[in-house]
Amino acid sequence: MSEPSPIQQQGSTSVREALPPASLAYGEMEPGTDEPRWGMAVDLERCIGCWSCAVICKSENDVPLGMWWNRILTAGDALDTPEIGEFGELSMHWVPLACQHCDDAPCVKVCPTSATYVGEGGTVLVNQDDCIGCRYCMASCPYGVRVFNWGEPEYAPPDGTGMVEARPVGSVEKCSLCVHRRDEGLVPSCVWSCPAQARIFGDLNDPDSEVVQAIRSRNGSRLLEDKGTEPKVYYLEPRRKRPL
Amino acid sequence: MTTAILTRRDAVPATGAASGPSTAWKVWVGVLAAGLAVGLGCFLYQWTHGLGVTGLSNTVTWGMYIVSFMFLVGASAGGLIVVAGSELVGTTRFKTLSRLAVVVSVAAVATAAGAILPDLGRPELAWKMIVQPNLTSPLVWDMAVLTTYLVIGGVDLYVLSRPSVSERAMKRLAIITLPIAILVHSVTAWIFGLMVARPFWNTALLAPMFISSALVSGTALVILVALAARRTAGLRFSDRMLGGLGWLMLWFLAADAFLLLAEILTTLLSGSPDHVHQLEVVLIGRLAPLFWTEVLLGVVLPFVVLSNPRWRSKPVVLAVVSVLAVVGVFFKRINILLSSEFEPLVDLAPGIPGGRPGQAFDAAQIYVPTWVEWGVLIGMAAFFLTLVTIGVRRIVLPGQSNDLAATIRDAGHHEAHA
Repeated sequence: MSEPSPIQQQGSTSVREALPPASLAYGEMEPGTDEPRWGMAVDLERCIGCWSCAVICKSENDVPLGMWWNRILTAGDALDTPEIGEFGELSMHWVPLACQHCDDAPCVKVCPTSATYVGEGGTVLVNQDDCIGCRYCMASCPYGVRVFNWGEPEYAPPDGTGMVEARPVGSVEKCSLCVHRRDEGLVPSCVWSCPAQARIFGDLNDPDSEVVQAIRSRNGSRLLEDKGTEPKVYYLEPRRKRPL
Repeated sequence: MTTAILTRRDAVPATGAASGPSTAWKVWVGVLAAGLAVGLGCFLYQWTHGLGVTGLSNTVTWGMYIVSFMFLVGASAGGLIVVAGSELVGTTRFKTLSRLAVVVSVAAVATAAGAILPDLGRPELAWKMIVQPNLTSPLVWDMAVLTTYLVIGGVDLYVLSRPSVSERAMKRLAIITLPIAILVHSVTAWIFGLMVARPFWNTALLAPMFISSALVSGTALVILVALAARRTAGLRFSDRMLGGLGWLMLWFLAADAFLLLAEILTTLLSGSPDHVHQLEVVLIGRLAPLFWTEVLLGVVLPFVVLSNPRWRSKPVVLAVVSVLAVVGVFFKRINILLSSEFEPLVDLAPGIPGGRPGQAFDAAQIYVPTWVEWGVLIGMAAFFLTLVTIGVRRIVLPGQSNDLAATIRDAGHHEAHA
């Protein structure tokens, strides 16, 4: 970014200072073990498909127009089409989808320059300085969550938000579980911003953590488990028996 | 192409043309130069504007550049494998062809290596693959094997271009060349075949299929270049010898078709739903026209024609089926690549982000190559043909006068059999 962002103009030096206190109320995170393994549970019973987490992800990480690191998939033919369409028994389900931060990540294996690497807490990160733009990682990702910088980026607002560094044209990017926030002890923005509190973030190595408890009690499952990628994002199936 | 494009037929081949270049030669050089200029121009345009000027997207993230890469690696098979193979089984049948065949191979490998560059988002950082290679990436291994292959091809050319070819040296080279050639196609296949995300690629048969397809397109390409060089550069190849290549191609086609059938049958009757889904794109879906063209015109028709000894000794027939086989293999590469990309595993609405401003999601998952991609492909073809032309002028033609005697012996040998 050439110009200082709105947040920088306010004189804030850190994410923590720039945020309104309300965002901190849900936002603190703490490792439960000496070697944390950061992961997330997404409660599909709570998710209302509002796209708040997708939108805040875009501004938090300055994701250019046309690109998404996090999006909300609708089970069904289209965004607004219920999967079960019988009158009186309509029901809709959503699958919020971003990088699954796999323990055995295919993208990490295939990256020819190790630009994609395993960072602190087992998160999968991209070092854009080393990305040559071969898009092997995109071909190898079973979840289709990586996006490429096809040309000069356009932002909304036009100058971007400036929370994180812009990625160069010709490189690949994706969800970092808000590494810049985690560095300051804050949860990823999709977590604190969820109006339904459908996301639980925490240390998967800590058996007493809220996230592990939720995964256990709700019998959490992972996407494409049979591919053996060992994602660190779990989904908690809705418990209600009857459609709304 | 008319006769006498490179030099007049039966003229004594000379590297520096003594009587001034012919019009046909000037036209040919002009065509190559124009092709190279178009390719380079499109590549530079893409480099400065980003890969957004292509038809690629976050869904179809690999397209014609990678198809060309796969195809060119395969096309390099013919020469080196036929030469090294004949050396090892001790047949002198294709002896007269060895220089040209190796020239075609080396030109194809060099072009394949170049074909990777325009696919990179940041070609200026390609060197990072060499200084900080990630050894778990098949791409790194493929680069290493391709480089080795290129070096061995170069050594082959050097040995073949010396006045007297040492039989022992050739044999030793053949022993090294053959395994490396097999590795080149296997490792290229494993770039695709080792991915859990792409069921259609993720089959143990992919490497064997890459080898069989490579042999088909490689042999066909050598036949085509040999026919063209015979017509235009006065190279002496007998119809019988070229028919022998056609006979080889017959068996390569059969092997390729068998592996394809085995793969389709296994998937259709017992594959995972994801795999079947991606196969259906090829059999009855969007790629079906390409697939059935490939099967009927690229495999069945050439096979039927080549199985007739009288037909396969006719240069025109050989040329036509070789073109069909080459196009068929090219279509096969497109089918393999795109079928998996058209059907992502997580395929819920609204789909994968489109990537460009104003294009939030790419629900249609369509891939149409743009003029930039076609321009770069033209450049690749021109680059390949330029290397072949230089090779024919500098290595094949000067070498031919050295083994004129061998050619005469070869011809006599054939007449004795006829």
